[in-house]
Amino acid sequence: MKVLIVDFGSQWTHRILRTLKYLDVDAKIIPVSTPSSEIKDADALVFSGGAIRVSLGDGDQTGNARLFLSCFQGPILGVCAGQQFIGMHFGGQARPSAGPEFGKVEIIVDDHDELFDGVPDRFHAWASHNDEVVETPGFRVLAHSKDCSNHAFKHESRPIYGTLFHPEVDHSEYGEEIYANFLKLCKK
Amino acid sequence: MPFNPEKFVSQAVADVKKQVGDGKAIVAVSGGVDSTVTAVLMGRALGDQLVAVFVDTGYMRKNEPETIKGVAKKAGLNLRFVDAKGEFFSALANATDPEEKRKIIGEKFIRIFEKIAREENACFLGQGTLAPDWIESGSGLRATIKSHHNVGGLPKDMNLQLVEPVRELYKDEVRKVGKVLGLPADVYNRQPFPGPGLAVRIMGEATPEKAEIVREACAIVEEELEAAAASGKMALPWQYFAVVLPVKSVGVLGDARAYGYTIAVRAVESLDGMTAKACSVPPEVLERIAERITRQLKEKVNRVVYDITSKPPATIEWE
Repeated sequence: MKVLIVDFGSQWTHRILRTLKYLDVDAKIIPVSTPSSEIKDADALVFSGGAIRVSLGDGDQTGNARLFLSCFQGPILGVCAGQQFIGMHFGGQARPSAGPEFGKVEIIVDDHDELFDGVPDRFHAWASHNDEVVETPGFRVLAHSKDCSNHAFKHESRPIYGTLFHPEVDHSEYGEEIYANFLKLCKK
Repeated sequence: MPFNPEKFVSQAVADVKKQVGDGKAIVAVSGGVDSTVTAVLMGRALGDQLVAVFVDTGYMRKNEPETIKGVAKKAGLNLRFVDAKGEFFSALANATDPEEKRKIIGEKFIRIFEKIAREENACFLGQGTLAPDWIESGSGLRATIKSHHNVGGLPKDMNLQLVEPVRELYKDEVRKVGKVLGLPADVYNRQPFPGPGLAVRIMGEATPEKAEIVREACAIVEEELEAAAASGKMALPWQYFAVVLPVKSVGVLGDARAYGYTIAVRAVESLDGMTAKACSVPPEVLERIAERITRQLKEKVNRVVYDITSKPPATIEWE
Protein backbone atom coordinates (compact mmCIF):
# COMPACT_ATOMS: atom_id res chain seq x y z
CA MET A 1 0.00 0.00 0.00
CA LYS A 2 1.31 3.42 -0.91
CA VAL A 3 0.45 6.53 1.11
CA LEU A 4 1.66 10.02 0.28
CA ILE A 5 2.03 12.54 3.10
CA VAL A 6 1.40 16.06 1.88
CA ASP A 7 3.73 18.24 3.93
CA PHE A 8 2.13 21.39 5.31
CA GLY A 9 5.29 21.95 7.37
CA SER A 10 4.46 20.24 10.66
CA GLN A 11 7.10 19.43 13.24
CA TRP A 12 5.45 16.02 13.16
CA THR A 13 5.20 15.32 9.42
CA HIS A 14 8.11 12.92 9.74
CA ARG A 15 6.37 11.26 12.71
CA ILE A 16 3.45 10.49 10.36
CA LEU A 17 5.99 8.86 8.03
CA ARG A 18 7.40 6.83 10.91
CA THR A 19 3.95 5.74 12.10
CA LEU A 20 2.94 4.60 8.61
CA LYS A 21 6.25 2.81 8.01
CA TYR A 22 5.86 0.95 11.29
CA LEU A 23 2.44 -0.13 9.95
CA ASP A 24 4.16 -1.65 6.91
CA VAL A 25 3.09 1.04 4.51
CA ASP A 26 5.17 2.35 1.63
CA ALA A 27 4.91 5.99 2.75
CA LYS A 28 6.55 9.07 1.37
CA ILE A 29 6.51 12.78 2.24
CA ILE A 30 5.75 15.07 -0.70
CA PRO A 31 5.79 18.88 -0.89
CA VAL A 32 2.53 20.76 -1.52
CA SER A 33 3.96 21.83 -4.88
CA THR A 34 3.90 18.23 -6.20
CA PRO A 35 2.05 18.04 -9.55
CA SER A 36 -1.33 16.33 -9.14
CA SER A 37 -0.35 13.82 -11.85
CA GLU A 38 2.16 12.36 -9.37
CA ILE A 39 -0.39 11.44 -6.72
CA LYS A 40 -2.62 9.31 -8.93
CA ASP A 41 -1.15 5.93 -8.02
CA ALA A 42 -1.36 6.53 -4.24
CA ASP A 43 -3.79 4.46 -2.15
CA ALA A 44 -4.35 7.27 0.32
CA LEU A 45 -3.20 10.77 1.22
CA VAL A 46 -2.44 12.32 4.58
CA PHE A 47 -2.34 16.10 4.94
CA SER A 48 0.04 16.97 7.77
CA GLY A 49 -0.34 19.81 10.22
CA GLY A 50 1.80 22.90 10.01
CA ALA A 51 2.43 26.38 11.34
CA ILE A 52 0.35 27.90 8.53
CA ARG A 53 -2.79 29.65 9.82
CA VAL A 54 -5.42 28.59 7.29
CA SER A 55 -8.04 30.52 9.25
CA LEU A 56 -6.04 33.70 8.62
CA GLY A 57 -5.64 33.18 4.89
CA ASP A 58 -2.38 31.20 4.86
CA GLY A 59 -4.22 28.65 2.70
CA ASP A 60 -2.50 30.38 -0.23
CA GLN A 61 0.72 28.63 0.73
CA THR A 62 -0.75 25.18 0.24
CA GLY A 63 0.30 24.73 -3.39
CA ASN A 64 -1.68 22.04 -5.16
CA ALA A 65 -3.45 20.73 -2.06
CA ARG A 66 -6.85 21.99 -3.23
CA LEU A 67 -6.34 20.17 -6.49
CA PHE A 68 -5.49 16.99 -4.60
CA LEU A 69 -8.82 17.23 -2.75
CA SER A 70 -10.79 17.56 -5.95
CA CYS A 71 -9.01 14.99 -8.11
CA PHE A 72 -8.01 12.29 -5.60
CA GLN A 73 -10.99 10.08 -4.77
CA GLY A 74 -9.30 7.66 -2.33
CA PRO A 75 -9.12 8.05 1.46
CA ILE A 76 -7.67 11.29 2.78
CA LEU A 77 -6.80 12.13 6.40
CA GLY A 78 -6.04 15.70 7.42
CA VAL A 79 -4.28 16.42 10.71
CA CYS A 80 -4.52 19.75 12.57
CA ALA A 81 -3.85 22.46 9.94
CA GLY A 82 -4.55 19.71 7.39
CA GLN A 83 -7.99 19.16 8.93
CA GLN A 84 -8.68 22.89 9.01
CA PHE A 85 -7.64 23.20 5.37
CA ILE A 86 -9.98 20.37 4.35
CA GLY A 87 -12.85 21.83 6.37
CA MET A 88 -12.43 25.24 4.76
CA HIS A 89 -12.03 23.78 1.28
CA PHE A 90 -15.49 22.21 1.58
CA GLY A 91 -17.11 25.44 2.74
CA GLY A 92 -16.49 25.27 6.47
CA GLN A 93 -15.04 27.90 8.72
CA ALA A 94 -11.78 27.89 10.61
CA ARG A 95 -10.96 30.49 13.22
CA PRO A 96 -8.53 31.18 16.05
CA SER A 97 -9.45 28.93 18.97
CA ALA A 98 -10.95 30.48 22.07
CA GLY A 99 -9.26 27.64 23.93
CA PRO A 100 -6.07 26.69 22.07
CA GLU A 101 -4.56 23.41 23.25
CA PHE A 102 -0.88 22.49 23.53
CA GLY A 103 0.19 19.12 24.87
CA LYS A 104 -2.16 16.69 26.58
CA VAL A 105 -5.89 16.85 25.80
CA GLU A 106 -8.72 14.51 26.68
CA ILE A 107 -10.51 13.46 23.50
CA ILE A 108 -14.15 12.50 23.85
CA VAL A 109 -15.40 10.31 21.00
CA ASP A 110 -18.98 11.14 19.93
CA ASP A 111 -19.19 8.72 17.01
CA HIS A 112 -16.70 5.88 16.66
CA ASP A 113 -17.34 5.38 12.99
CA GLU A 114 -14.49 3.40 11.37
CA LEU A 115 -11.73 5.81 12.38
CA PHE A 116 -12.16 5.22 16.13
CA ASP A 117 -13.07 1.55 15.87
CA GLY A 118 -11.71 -0.22 18.97
CA VAL A 119 -10.69 3.09 20.58
CA PRO A 120 -12.26 3.93 23.97
CA ASP A 121 -14.87 6.68 24.36
CA ARG A 122 -12.29 8.86 26.09
CA PHE A 123 -8.53 8.88 25.65
CA HIS A 124 -5.59 11.27 25.89
CA ALA A 125 -3.96 12.66 22.81
CA TRP A 126 -1.56 15.51 22.16
CA ALA A 127 -2.53 18.63 20.33
CA SER A 128 -0.76 21.83 19.31
CA HIS A 129 -3.10 24.29 17.68
CA ASN A 130 -3.94 27.97 17.61
CA ASP A 131 -6.95 27.54 15.32
CA GLU A 132 -9.80 25.10 14.79
CA VAL A 133 -12.63 24.37 12.34
CA VAL A 134 -16.04 25.30 13.67
CA GLU A 135 -18.66 24.98 10.99
CA THR A 136 -18.16 22.14 8.57
CA PRO A 137 -21.13 21.61 6.27
CA GLY A 138 -21.12 18.15 4.71
CA PHE A 139 -19.03 16.70 7.55
CA ARG A 140 -20.01 14.76 10.67
CA VAL A 141 -18.20 15.54 13.93
CA LEU A 142 -16.66 12.39 15.45
CA ALA A 143 -14.92 13.75 18.57
CA HIS A 144 -14.50 16.82 20.74
CA SER A 145 -12.61 18.03 23.80
CA LYS A 146 -13.56 20.29 26.69
CA ASP A 147 -12.36 23.33 24.75
CA CYS A 148 -12.83 22.35 21.10
CA SER A 149 -16.07 21.21 19.53
CA ASN A 150 -14.49 19.48 16.53
CA HIS A 151 -11.49 17.24 17.22
CA ALA A 152 -12.31 14.82 14.41
CA PHE A 153 -14.66 14.80 11.47
CA LYS A 154 -15.73 12.70 8.52
CA HIS A 155 -17.08 13.73 5.14
CA GLU A 156 -20.68 12.55 4.64
CA SER A 157 -20.10 10.88 1.29
CA ARG A 158 -16.36 10.68 0.56
CA PRO A 159 -13.67 8.83 2.59
CA ILE A 160 -12.23 12.07 3.91
CA TYR A 161 -11.34 12.37 7.58
CA GLY A 162 -9.67 14.93 9.78
CA THR A 163 -8.35 15.17 13.33
CA LEU A 164 -7.35 18.31 15.18
CA PHE A 165 -5.19 16.32 17.60
CA HIS A 166 -2.07 14.51 16.40
CA PRO A 167 -2.41 10.72 16.43
CA GLU A 168 1.14 10.37 15.03
CA VAL A 169 3.04 11.45 18.16
CA ASP A 170 4.21 8.99 20.76
CA HIS A 171 2.31 10.63 23.63
CA SER A 172 -1.05 10.26 21.87
CA GLU A 173 -2.85 7.14 23.06
CA TYR A 174 -4.29 4.84 20.35
CA GLY A 175 -2.52 6.87 17.65
CA GLU A 176 -1.25 3.85 15.80
CA GLU A 177 -4.71 2.24 15.99
CA ILE A 178 -6.28 5.35 14.47
CA TYR A 179 -3.83 5.32 11.56
CA ALA A 180 -4.38 1.56 11.16
CA ASN A 181 -8.15 2.16 11.03
CA PHE A 182 -7.61 4.82 8.40
CA LEU A 183 -5.48 2.41 6.36
CA LYS A 184 -8.26 -0.21 6.51
CA LEU A 185 -10.39 2.20 4.46
CA CYS A 186 -7.86 1.90 1.65
CA LYS A 187 -8.31 -1.84 1.49
CA LYS A 188 -12.00 -1.47 0.80
CA MET B 1 7.20 -2.96 9.95
CA PRO B 2 8.92 -1.55 13.03
CA PHE B 3 12.47 -0.29 12.64
CA ASN B 4 15.00 -3.00 11.78
CA PRO B 5 18.43 -1.94 13.10
CA GLU B 6 20.36 -4.81 11.47
CA LYS B 7 19.01 -3.95 8.05
CA PHE B 8 19.67 -0.28 8.73
CA VAL B 9 23.33 -0.93 9.61
CA SER B 10 24.12 -2.84 6.44
CA GLN B 11 22.39 -0.22 4.27
CA ALA B 12 24.06 2.70 6.09
CA VAL B 13 27.54 1.17 5.84
CA ALA B 14 27.03 0.57 2.11
CA ASP B 15 25.75 4.14 1.62
CA VAL B 16 28.73 5.67 3.45
CA LYS B 17 31.15 3.56 1.36
CA LYS B 18 29.44 4.72 -1.79
CA GLN B 19 29.42 8.39 -0.77
CA VAL B 20 33.00 8.65 0.48
CA GLY B 21 34.59 6.14 -1.91
CA ASP B 22 38.38 6.21 -1.57
CA GLY B 23 38.26 9.62 0.11
CA LYS B 24 39.05 10.48 3.69
CA ALA B 25 36.54 11.66 6.26
CA ILE B 26 36.49 13.17 9.70
CA VAL B 27 33.57 12.61 12.04
CA ALA B 28 32.47 14.95 14.80
CA VAL B 29 31.99 13.16 18.12
CA SER B 30 30.57 14.60 21.33
CA GLY B 31 30.40 11.48 23.48
CA GLY B 32 26.65 11.25 22.90
CA VAL B 33 24.73 8.40 21.32
CA ASP B 34 24.10 9.93 17.88
CA SER B 35 27.66 10.92 17.10
CA THR B 36 29.16 7.74 18.56
CA VAL B 37 26.83 5.58 16.46
CA THR B 38 27.63 7.70 13.39
CA ALA B 39 31.35 7.34 14.01
CA VAL B 40 31.14 3.56 14.43
CA LEU B 41 28.98 3.18 11.30
CA MET B 42 31.44 5.28 9.33
CA GLY B 43 34.35 3.38 10.82
CA ARG B 44 32.85 0.12 9.55
CA ALA B 45 32.60 1.58 6.09
CA LEU B 46 35.88 3.46 5.96
CA GLY B 47 38.34 1.82 8.35
CA ASP B 48 41.45 3.98 8.67
CA GLN B 49 40.12 6.51 6.14
CA LEU B 50 38.26 7.96 9.17
CA VAL B 51 39.39 10.26 12.00
CA ALA B 52 37.07 11.16 14.88
CA VAL B 53 37.29 14.69 16.28
CA PHE B 54 36.16 15.85 19.71
CA VAL B 55 36.05 19.57 20.40
CA ASP B 56 36.08 20.71 24.01
CA THR B 57 34.00 23.87 23.78
CA GLY B 58 34.13 24.69 27.47
CA TYR B 59 30.40 23.95 27.60
CA MET B 60 30.71 20.23 28.19
CA ARG B 61 29.27 18.23 31.05
CA LYS B 62 31.36 17.67 34.16
CA ASN B 63 34.21 15.23 33.41
CA GLU B 64 32.99 14.91 29.80
CA PRO B 65 36.41 15.43 28.17
CA GLU B 66 37.66 12.42 30.18
CA THR B 67 34.50 10.39 29.51
CA ILE B 68 34.77 10.88 25.76
CA LYS B 69 38.22 9.35 25.70
CA GLY B 70 36.79 6.25 27.37
CA VAL B 71 33.82 6.15 24.96
CA ALA B 72 36.12 6.50 21.94
CA LYS B 73 38.29 3.70 23.21
CA LYS B 74 35.29 1.41 23.81
CA ALA B 75 34.01 2.22 20.33
CA GLY B 76 37.42 1.63 18.75
CA LEU B 77 37.74 5.15 17.33
CA ASN B 78 40.89 6.96 16.28
CA LEU B 79 40.31 10.22 18.22
CA ARG B 80 41.68 13.73 17.83
CA PHE B 81 41.00 15.97 20.80
CA VAL B 82 40.76 19.73 20.26
CA ASP B 83 40.79 22.17 23.18
CA ALA B 84 38.82 25.18 21.92
CA LYS B 85 37.47 26.48 25.23
CA GLY B 86 39.01 29.95 24.88
CA GLU B 87 37.84 30.31 21.28
CA PHE B 88 34.22 29.45 22.13
CA PHE B 89 34.13 31.65 25.24
CA SER B 90 35.35 34.68 23.33
CA ALA B 91 33.10 34.02 20.31
CA LEU B 92 30.06 33.90 22.60
CA ALA B 93 30.91 36.98 24.67
CA ASN B 94 27.99 39.42 24.59
CA ALA B 95 25.77 37.05 22.59
CA THR B 96 22.39 36.81 24.32
CA ASP B 97 19.92 35.79 21.61
CA PRO B 98 19.46 31.99 21.50
CA GLU B 99 19.50 31.80 17.69
CA GLU B 100 22.59 34.01 17.51
CA LYS B 101 24.33 31.79 20.07
CA ARG B 102 23.49 28.63 18.13
CA LYS B 103 24.75 30.12 14.87
CA ILE B 104 28.02 31.29 16.44
CA ILE B 105 28.53 27.80 17.84
CA GLY B 106 27.67 26.12 14.51
CA GLU B 107 30.14 28.28 12.64
CA LYS B 108 32.90 27.84 15.21
CA PHE B 109 32.56 24.06 15.04
CA ILE B 110 32.75 24.08 11.24
CA ARG B 111 35.84 26.33 11.12
CA ILE B 112 37.59 23.94 13.48
CA PHE B 113 36.48 20.91 11.45
CA GLU B 114 37.65 22.56 8.23
CA LYS B 115 41.08 23.10 9.74
CA ILE B 116 41.34 19.50 10.95
CA ALA B 117 40.02 18.22 7.60
CA ARG B 118 42.75 20.13 5.77
CA GLU B 119 45.38 18.60 8.04
CA GLU B 120 43.91 15.15 7.48
CA ASN B 121 43.33 15.62 3.75
CA ALA B 122 39.64 14.90 4.24
CA CYS B 123 36.76 16.49 2.38
CA PHE B 124 33.89 14.72 4.19
CA LEU B 125 32.46 15.57 7.60
CA GLY B 126 30.39 12.99 9.45
CA GLN B 127 27.74 14.30 11.83
CA GLY B 128 25.25 12.53 14.09
CA THR B 129 22.31 14.56 12.78
CA LEU B 130 18.96 13.05 13.77
CA ALA B 131 15.49 13.74 12.34
CA PRO B 132 14.50 16.24 15.08
CA ASP B 133 17.62 18.33 14.27
CA TRP B 134 16.61 19.11 10.70
CA ILE B 135 12.90 19.16 11.52
CA GLU B 136 13.33 21.83 14.21
CA SER B 137 15.84 23.77 12.12
CA GLY B 138 13.00 24.44 9.66
CA SER B 139 12.92 24.87 5.89
CA GLY B 140 10.26 25.99 3.43
CA LEU B 141 6.83 25.75 5.08
CA ARG B 142 8.36 24.26 8.22
CA ALA B 143 9.00 26.88 10.89
CA THR B 144 12.38 27.21 12.56
CA ILE B 145 11.93 26.26 16.20
CA LYS B 146 15.65 26.32 16.89
CA SER B 147 18.62 26.25 14.53
CA HIS B 148 20.48 23.09 15.44
CA HIS B 149 24.18 23.86 15.14
CA ASN B 150 24.71 20.90 12.81
CA VAL B 151 21.92 21.92 10.40
CA GLY B 152 20.49 25.45 10.61
CA GLY B 153 23.65 26.76 12.29
CA LEU B 154 26.04 25.68 9.53
CA PRO B 155 27.82 28.53 7.73
CA LYS B 156 26.79 28.95 4.09
CA ASP B 157 30.34 28.87 2.75
CA MET B 158 31.26 25.55 4.37
CA ASN B 159 33.58 23.51 2.15
CA LEU B 160 33.01 20.05 3.62
CA GLN B 161 30.55 17.47 2.30
CA LEU B 162 28.25 16.13 4.99
CA VAL B 163 27.85 12.45 5.76
CA GLU B 164 24.79 11.94 7.95
CA PRO B 165 23.86 8.26 8.11
CA VAL B 166 21.33 8.57 10.96
CA ARG B 167 19.46 11.69 9.80
CA GLU B 168 16.17 9.84 9.25
CA LEU B 169 16.22 8.30 12.73
CA TYR B 170 14.91 9.30 16.13
CA LYS B 171 16.69 8.78 19.44
CA ASP B 172 15.02 5.46 20.29
CA GLU B 173 16.00 4.09 16.88
CA VAL B 174 19.60 5.27 17.04
CA ARG B 175 19.91 3.54 20.43
CA LYS B 176 18.82 0.29 18.78
CA VAL B 177 21.50 0.80 16.13
CA GLY B 178 24.07 1.40 18.87
CA LYS B 179 23.10 -1.85 20.52
CA VAL B 180 23.37 -3.81 17.26
CA LEU B 181 26.79 -2.23 16.65
CA GLY B 182 27.94 -3.72 19.95
CA LEU B 183 28.40 -0.46 21.84
CA PRO B 184 28.29 -0.74 25.64
CA ALA B 185 24.81 -0.11 27.13
CA ASP B 186 26.03 2.91 29.08
CA VAL B 187 27.00 4.50 25.76
CA TYR B 188 23.85 3.78 23.73
CA ASN B 189 21.57 4.53 26.68
CA ARG B 190 23.18 7.88 27.56
CA GLN B 191 20.68 10.67 27.96
CA PRO B 192 20.58 13.24 25.14
CA PHE B 193 22.88 16.22 25.42
CA PRO B 194 22.47 19.24 23.13
CA GLY B 195 25.13 19.81 20.48
CA PRO B 196 25.81 23.41 21.59
CA GLY B 197 26.34 22.00 25.07
CA LEU B 198 25.74 23.93 28.26
CA ALA B 199 25.70 27.20 26.29
CA VAL B 200 21.99 26.63 25.64
CA ARG B 201 21.38 25.85 29.32
CA ILE B 202 22.51 29.34 30.24
CA MET B 203 19.78 31.83 29.40
CA GLY B 204 21.37 34.95 27.98
CA GLU B 205 25.13 35.39 27.75
CA ALA B 206 26.98 32.10 28.25
CA THR B 207 29.84 33.38 30.39
CA PRO B 208 32.53 31.02 31.73
CA GLU B 209 31.24 31.78 35.24
CA LYS B 210 27.73 30.63 34.36
CA ALA B 211 29.08 27.61 32.49
CA GLU B 212 30.72 26.57 35.76
CA ILE B 213 27.45 27.10 37.69
CA VAL B 214 25.29 25.12 35.30
CA ARG B 215 27.90 22.36 34.94
CA GLU B 216 27.84 21.78 38.71
CA ALA B 217 24.04 22.03 38.86
CA CYS B 218 23.63 19.56 35.98
CA ALA B 219 26.00 17.13 37.68
CA ILE B 220 23.93 17.30 40.89
CA VAL B 221 20.65 16.78 39.03
CA GLU B 222 22.15 13.80 37.20
CA GLU B 223 23.55 12.23 40.37
CA GLU B 224 20.37 12.66 42.39
CA LEU B 225 17.93 11.47 39.72
CA GLU B 226 20.14 8.52 38.81
CA ALA B 227 20.34 7.58 42.50
CA ALA B 228 16.56 7.96 42.88
CA ALA B 229 16.00 5.74 39.85
CA ALA B 230 18.52 3.15 41.03
CA SER B 231 16.73 2.89 44.38
CA GLY B 232 13.34 2.43 42.70
CA LYS B 233 11.83 5.79 43.75
CA MET B 234 11.12 6.71 40.14
CA ALA B 235 11.89 5.67 36.57
CA LEU B 236 15.00 7.26 35.11
CA PRO B 237 13.82 10.25 33.06
CA TRP B 238 14.52 10.35 29.32
CA GLN B 239 16.43 13.60 29.82
CA TYR B 240 17.28 15.52 33.01
CA PHE B 241 19.34 18.62 33.59
CA ALA B 242 19.60 22.10 35.07
CA VAL B 243 19.29 25.52 33.46
CA VAL B 244 20.62 28.77 34.92
CA LEU B 245 18.17 31.63 34.56
CA PRO B 246 19.16 35.28 34.19
CA VAL B 247 16.74 36.16 36.97
CA LYS B 248 18.18 37.05 40.36
CA SER B 249 16.16 36.78 43.52
CA VAL B 250 16.56 37.57 47.18
CA GLY B 251 17.49 34.94 49.69
CA VAL B 252 18.79 34.69 53.22
CA LEU B 253 21.93 32.73 54.01
CA GLY B 254 23.29 32.53 57.55
CA ASP B 255 21.23 35.56 58.57
CA ALA B 256 22.72 37.60 55.75
CA ARG B 257 20.95 38.82 52.65
CA ALA B 258 21.67 36.92 49.45
CA TYR B 259 20.92 37.95 45.92
CA GLY B 260 21.66 35.16 43.48
CA TYR B 261 20.67 33.29 40.38
CA THR B 262 17.84 30.82 39.96
CA ILE B 263 18.34 27.29 38.70
CA ALA B 264 15.50 25.52 36.90
CA VAL B 265 15.50 21.72 37.02
CA ARG B 266 13.98 19.84 34.08
CA ALA B 267 13.28 16.11 33.84
CA VAL B 268 11.10 14.74 31.07
CA GLU B 269 9.86 11.46 29.74
CA SER B 270 9.86 11.03 25.98
CA LEU B 271 10.52 8.45 23.28
CA ASP B 272 11.87 10.53 20.45
CA GLY B 273 12.19 14.09 21.75
CA MET B 274 9.31 15.28 19.55
CA THR B 275 6.84 15.33 22.43
CA ALA B 276 7.70 15.27 26.11
CA LYS B 277 6.06 15.29 29.49
CA ALA B 278 7.53 16.55 32.75
CA CYS B 279 8.35 13.67 35.12
CA SER B 280 6.72 13.26 38.49
CA VAL B 281 9.81 13.48 40.66
CA PRO B 282 9.17 12.58 44.32
CA PRO B 283 9.21 15.77 46.45
CA GLU B 284 12.02 14.53 48.66
CA VAL B 285 14.23 14.03 45.61
CA LEU B 286 13.52 17.58 44.41
CA GLU B 287 14.20 18.92 47.90
CA ARG B 288 17.53 17.13 48.03
CA ILE B 289 18.47 18.60 44.62
CA ALA B 290 17.57 22.11 45.82
CA GLU B 291 19.58 21.64 49.02
CA ARG B 292 22.67 20.39 47.28
CA ILE B 293 22.62 23.05 44.56
CA THR B 294 22.08 25.96 46.95
CA ARG B 295 24.66 24.72 49.45
CA GLN B 296 27.33 23.89 46.93
CA LEU B 297 26.74 27.03 44.85
CA LYS B 298 25.71 29.31 47.73
CA GLU B 299 27.69 32.31 46.48
CA LYS B 300 25.81 32.21 43.19
CA VAL B 301 22.48 30.41 43.51
CA ASN B 302 19.82 30.75 46.19
CA ARG B 303 16.71 29.45 44.48
CA VAL B 304 15.75 26.28 42.59
CA VAL B 305 12.51 25.71 40.65
CA TYR B 306 11.13 22.70 38.80
CA ASP B 307 9.86 22.99 35.23
CA ILE B 308 6.48 21.26 34.87
CA THR B 309 5.81 22.11 31.22
CA SER B 310 5.32 19.53 28.49
CA LYS B 311 6.51 19.77 24.87
CA PRO B 312 4.53 21.35 23.29
CA PRO B 313 4.10 24.15 24.34
CA ALA B 314 7.68 24.24 25.68
CA THR B 315 10.68 22.52 24.12
CA ILE B 316 12.82 20.17 26.19
CA GLU B 317 15.91 22.39 26.34
CA TRP B 318 15.15 26.02 27.20
CA GLU B 319 16.90 27.56 24.18
